[in-house]
Amino acid sequence: MLRGFGAILVKELKELIRDPKILIGMIVLPLLMFPVLGLVLGYAVETAQEQAQQATLLVVNNDGGNWSQTFIDYLNNIGLKITVENNLTPQQIIDQGLLIQNNSTQFIEIPSGFSNNMSQHTSGNFEVFAMINSYGVFSGGGVFSDIGSSAITSIINSFNRIIAPNVLFTTQSTIIKGEIQEGIDPATLSGLMISQALALPITIMIMLTYSMQIAATSVAMEKEEKTLETLLTMPVDRFAILMGKLSSTIIVAGVAAITVLIGYNFMLSSVTIGIPTQTSIDLVSLGLVPSPFGYILLGISLFITLLSALALAVIMSAFAEDVRGAQSLIGYTYPIIFIPSLALIYLDFNTLPIALKAILYAIPYSHPVIASKVVVLGDYTTVILGIIYVAAFTVVIMYIASRLFATEKILTAKLRFKRKKTGN
Amino acid sequence: MSLAVNAELVVKEFGSIRALDGLSFQIKSGEIYGLIGPNGAGKTTMLRIISTLLLPTSGIVKVFGQNVEKKAAEVRKVITYLPEEAGAYRNLSGWEYLEFMAKFNTKNPEKTKQVINEAAKISGLNERLKDRAKTYSKGMKRRLLVARALMTKPKLAILDEPASGLDVLHAYYVREIIKNYVKSHNVTVLLSSHNMLEVEYLCNRIALLNKGKIMVEGSPQSLKTKYECENLEEVFAKVVGYA
Repeated sequence: MLRGFGAILVKELKELIRDPKILIGMIVLPLLMFPVLGLVLGYAVETAQEQAQQATLLVVNNDGGNWSQTFIDYLNNIGLKITVENNLTPQQIIDQGLLIQNNSTQFIEIPSGFSNNMSQHTSGNFEVFAMINSYGVFSGGGVFSDIGSSAITSIINSFNRIIAPNVLFTTQSTIIKGEIQEGIDPATLSGLMISQALALPITIMIMLTYSMQIAATSVAMEKEEKTLETLLTMPVDRFAILMGKLSSTIIVAGVAAITVLIGYNFMLSSVTIGIPTQTSIDLVSLGLVPSPFGYILLGISLFITLLSALALAVIMSAFAEDVRGAQSLIGYTYPIIFIPSLALIYLDFNTLPIALKAILYAIPYSHPVIASKVVVLGDYTTVILGIIYVAAFTVVIMYIASRLFATEKILTAKLRFKRKKTGN
Repeated sequence: MSLAVNAELVVKEFGSIRALDGLSFQIKSGEIYGLIGPNGAGKTTMLRIISTLLLPTSGIVKVFGQNVEKKAAEVRKVITYLPEEAGAYRNLSGWEYLEFMAKFNTKNPEKTKQVINEAAKISGLNERLKDRAKTYSKGMKRRLLVARALMTKPKLAILDEPASGLDVLHAYYVREIIKNYVKSHNVTVLLSSHNMLEVEYLCNRIALLNKGKIMVEGSPQSLKTKYECENLEEVFAKVVGYA
């Protein structure tokens, strides 16, 4: 037995347990965070299923025969909300805005000759099959965004079981930015995009938390090493001290943001190369990688969010007496960084209720993740509005930070959990 | 003679605790003035107010006629402050530390070099200035910091326990620097200490502080005569009713 081990262990445990910052950061926060994430995840699946069930399915009947009517009746009987349009090409459906009018993200086309093929098959000519063409709008949604197209496949399968096995087949196509991409299954595309949906939010989370630690440490180190008091009595503008500290971290963060984008771009190219040629899917030719302008906006969004996170870290570190205290305090911000990022991996932002959307919009750290999703679809307005919002938030945070540096609070501010303490 | 510091009825409260309770004193230009008293008497709080780090709850403090509250930036141009537990940047060499600090006072590279050379002379650290501060002993670090506080020939140097925790030789070195530098460069010094021998050796005048109040003020000799004591420790004990 190691001599003295027990005494040291007990002393260390006492010190750790009696530090409320550690207790909250390591025990209370995970206890709160994971149930919240669980709720978000459950909600994501539920929302996607409800969307699929409640959405109006647009049916374009280009056949006009008996079997097409039977199929439509079947859809009605199983409780689907459907709207039927006659004699329109898929492109006309999109161009006339019928999907938006019906608040729908997918439609199926019963092509001309459908009833004839069905009749032949049911009369014994099993070499003839009938086709249903399914079209889904790609919204850059979450991990569960392919539930809609999967639902249509299962409806077709159940119709097959009622009539005769394997009489009906579907072709899957995806509508990307208003253009029909024939033969591309939204489910396959969704799977392909998961790598993108996961990689950038996780990288952003790591980058934000890491650079916040650096920024907080730079102020806390001055306190711990007792150099801050001397610096604050020098003939130098207090705002210059704050900006000097922020700028050095910003340079590091800026390099980090560029590195992330380079890595991200490389990853997207790799995904393109890695696709089996027979599926004929590649993200670049489908327009599912950001344009140069999109990359610039994404870079600005990342940078401005980093800036606001760093300013917040500096403010928080002012309330700590040493490096360990500052790092524990920074831990409190992790839920507001992690939850939006993880939620947006799983949720399709477009299908969220207004209240939840508002909460996610209000958290500045959501914006680069939102930007990474919408920039692919060419929705630059959302990104620009996000940048403006985060910039305004940053100005407020910077103002608070500069006020903190201008007064004695930078030395006297302490986060107090128990009784007040005062020094001489 | 003009006043280097004029403090009038200074009160400082931290929540419900009154650290300074109506302190008033003046320091003449060129003096070495000492605030002495036990731990918790309010010495450091007073020095921090004069150094523009803390604001008084009430009362007025002026440094060479400038209000520390309203003209903090002007005050910072004429003072230097050496905190009791000050450190140097661990990963900068002594020379780099002095250069970093000197650049706040002058932008002229030639002048900066002169100031650092002056600091090198004061500190006596010679070749060790090239080493990183984290390799310095406590005494060496203090010498570096005292040199930093004096190198710009400030009008007022505020030194909190300048030789605290140093061994005999380093403490002797630091005291000699302060005494000689003031004489030769007409620097006013305000220092705090609870080492009565140090204070007696260095200060022209002192104020004895206890519980945020000045108990008595005068030259060390006059106080010893007045209270019929052999040294300032006895004076202090008598004043606070301990002896």
